[in-house]
Amino acid sequence: VDLLTTSVATAESDSEPYTLVVLDGEADVTNCNALRGVLEAEVAKQPRTLIIDLSGLRFMDSSALHVILRVNRTMDRQGGVLALASPRDAVAKMLRLTAADQLLPVYPSVDEATAG
Amino acid sequence: MTRRVGPGVAEVWRGLLAGGSRDVPCPYDIAELDPAVIADARRTHPLLLSSGHRLMSPEHTVPSDLLPSRSVPLPAPYGDAMIHTYRTDLSQVRALVLQHAREAGLTESRANDLVLAVSEVAANTLRHTQSSGTLNLWNDQDEVVCEIHDEGTITDPLAGRHRPPPDASGGHGLWLVHQVCDLVELNSDASGTTIRMHMTIHPPQMNG
Repeated sequence: VDLLTTSVATAESDSEPYTLVVLDGEADVTNCNALRGVLEAEVAKQPRTLIIDLSGLRFMDSSALHVILRVNRTMDRQGGVLALASPRDAVAKMLRLTAADQLLPVYPSVDEATAG
Repeated sequence: MTRRVGPGVAEVWRGLLAGGSRDVPCPYDIAELDPAVIADARRTHPLLLSSGHRLMSPEHTVPSDLLPSRSVPLPAPYGDAMIHTYRTDLSQVRALVLQHAREAGLTESRANDLVLAVSEVAANTLRHTQSSGTLNLWNDQDEVVCEIHDEGTITDPLAGRHRPPPDASGGHGLWLVHQVCDLVELNSDASGTTIRMHMTIHPPQMNG
């Protein structure tokens, strides 16, 4: 069983398209390169909005955070927006302690993320 | 009771107090503590208070000039420590820590804090060494302690004590360890690094 699984979908909210990446499992130093690959492949398609659904993520370490922050910088440069949605308590706390939640928006749900 | 603190603490206090500078005394029991600990204290504090007299510490050195933390061995674990060797399976390391922390009576939130801290330190074993690391886990009724030992070397005695910029591409790991744990002890020399993370089981009520 993979420690981390990812799935990607594109959808629309109020006729605005967005890309949704759903993470399930545990994201750490042992799989952050795979995570980077998945996210960078989506970023390369230059979406206006990329949402990462964290609801299934039981654990995230600073290596995975750095992947997300790097993707955030690329999205910024491309004029797009990266948002995180529904982190569990432990992940939300880690985003707060590193002040990552001040660099990119974190929403309680995917619906709220699509509403911006 | 005496607690070992690293040389970074004085600088952390200085940072905290930078706004409205007030001196905070750090008590040291000269009769009981190892002379090496007292020598460290004299190097890391600018002002000494002894028997009511104040004097400037002639040995005081600004922290950035301090030599890398000398290798003062940590006191031996108490009780029956559980020992686990890992290389790449950090998920198993986290599961062991979570189970032990819950059984010892940490709240779910603080158990998760400890899991994060241990995982960050164990991740450094993968990043910076070619060999396996060892997790030691033990507790008494007051605290849970997790210790990671590996062959890496940390030369910066203040590693993890400075807040990295949010968009830094590294340095958040040890910062998080220091944020979530009640006490972090570090011992590092050419033969390896030991990081001991303490979590109090019934801490005084705090926000967050």
